[in-house]
Amino acid sequence: MADDSSARLYQAFVSHDPAAAINVVEGVKKSGVAQEQLFDHLFAPAMALLGGARASRAIDEYTFTQASVVAEQITSFVTPPTAAQDTGITVLVGTMHHDLHETDKAITAAALKEAGHRIIDLGVDVRPAEFLERAEETGARIVMVFAQMMSTARSVVRVREMFSANGRDDIVIFVAGGPFSADVSLAKSVGANGVSRGAESALRLISKVAAKMGAAW
Amino acid sequence: MVSGRSQQSLLAEGLARQGHVAPAVEACYEALRIDDADAIVHALLADLFLDGDFYDQAIRAAARAIEIDPDCAPAYLALGLAYDRRGGMWDQSILVWHELAEVVPDLVIAHVQLGEAFSASAFPKEAIEAWHTALELDPTEARAMYNLAVAALKREGMATALPGFRRAGELDPSQDDFFFALAGVCDDGEPAPDPNDVEPNRSSRLTAAFALAFEEDYFAASDLINLILDDDPDDAETLALAGYLYLKQEAVNEAMAVALRAIAISTRMPTAVYVLGAAFHKHSGLNRSAARVFDALARAVPEEPMPHVLLAESLLGLQQFSAAKQAYLRAIELDLACVRARFGLAAVLLTEGEHANAAWEIRRAAYYDTRRQGFFWQLYDAYAAGRD
Repeated sequence: MADDSSARLYQAFVSHDPAAAINVVEGVKKSGVAQEQLFDHLFAPAMALLGGARASRAIDEYTFTQASVVAEQITSFVTPPTAAQDTGITVLVGTMHHDLHETDKAITAAALKEAGHRIIDLGVDVRPAEFLERAEETGARIVMVFAQMMSTARSVVRVREMFSANGRDDIVIFVAGGPFSADVSLAKSVGANGVSRGAESALRLISKVAAKMGAAW
Repeated sequence: MVSGRSQQSLLAEGLARQGHVAPAVEACYEALRIDDADAIVHALLADLFLDGDFYDQAIRAAARAIEIDPDCAPAYLALGLAYDRRGGMWDQSILVWHELAEVVPDLVIAHVQLGEAFSASAFPKEAIEAWHTALELDPTEARAMYNLAVAALKREGMATALPGFRRAGELDPSQDDFFFALAGVCDDGEPAPDPNDVEPNRSSRLTAAFALAFEEDYFAASDLINLILDDDPDDAETLALAGYLYLKQEAVNEAMAVALRAIAISTRMPTAVYVLGAAFHKHSGLNRSAARVFDALARAVPEEPMPHVLLAESLLGLQQFSAAKQAYLRAIELDLACVRARFGLAAVLLTEGEHANAAWEIRRAAYYDTRRQGFFWQLYDAYAAGRD
């Protein structure tokens, strides 16, 4: 990174020239600075120069405000992208047949989506056959089944049976919900590959599977 | 009798206000021996029982007060809180908060509590309506906003909920209190000086600027700041205050610029670190930077709960829920009454499927918020004045 790039960015700010500011950012990017480092290595020092100029009255309040507007306009160029990149991993999520609990599924699905996974939310009260149909349609290889009652948790075995009967033993099934958190052996008995104990746990499980399967995705 | 009330009743009230619970309860019973039909004494007794976690007794005393006088607003408050805290009595709770909202229609807290009772009874739509009503009555009602954020989390996940938590956090005065605590400024009850009367030296000007900022007179404070910076543009403490003023005027980048300059001058300026973190906190793409800054601040002032709360909120944005939980727990350890931390912790617990624990945290938050704001005494005083 050229040493004077922060000074040039600062100059673009006080000249009220967003195009020049973007040019500086692009130039620094081309020199090999990663997107994640732009904020700390380029933008923050330029903002410190701006703050210093305001303090010493090298610029007046109006110029300071206008420069801050330009800084705002280019913030998205120097901050890490807010949405994670597409991981290419498709996950089917749904609450088991006869179960209408939605909250845990909604929170987990949103977290997985934010992490860049492709989420197909089948909703609540999902029949085992529907998991199979949608897995075939979408090519998903991970299914996350939510169940909050003992009766519906036990019936998740029907999802595994449905996949097995159709030669889809390769499908990874994760289960989530109070009964599974309370009794891990229950997950094993219904043929699940793992138990998600919440959104962060689901993120970890999916990452683990993705790492294990590697190029197979 | 004074103003239609017995000496024992007034004594009970005085003792209760001073926090002497047991003697106050005794004095209430004395007062009731003189006049068993005094609604205000029953209401006071209910609040005292509530304070001691005797919910059934509180319910009985409050119900008796309402039976004697159906317009006894403080008794409704005590009754509703007793139902809520006892748990499992949400139907009754909804009725009580409805009644209170009718007795005192502009009482914001009644609508907030009503929403929480609806939510606990699995009526999410009605709950959201009640919180919106609360915000219509008072757009700065932080607890209604926290509850709406939790409701958004349940429907659409953390990314949607987080702006709500941040907005609620801004309404919550504790964040500003924290800035002034960092600066060593406390409310001494004295009005801020007239800027024209301030001695022309750095110390007097800065003290006055802080006092004016505390009173939200941002323009006068800015004038004094400019005078200090004219003499010394590298005054980091003054730059930090300038950053705070920009933040309060929603000028986030200006705040960031002067805070970065202040930190470039001195890395040992917690007020500047706070302003920088708060500026980062307002950009959803800067959660990582905000977390780094608040982590440093939490280490610099480890006994203050607010940096832990702010750190936790940044971690929520990074989906680091377990780390956020630890930060919230630390904040609550430092301040049991930290409403913002309890709502945040409730949100994390929801991401873990811990619904009962999340509901408990929200109930605790409600309890501390109601106590902190002194709603019982507000209603009590208004009721007593009305009787007199």
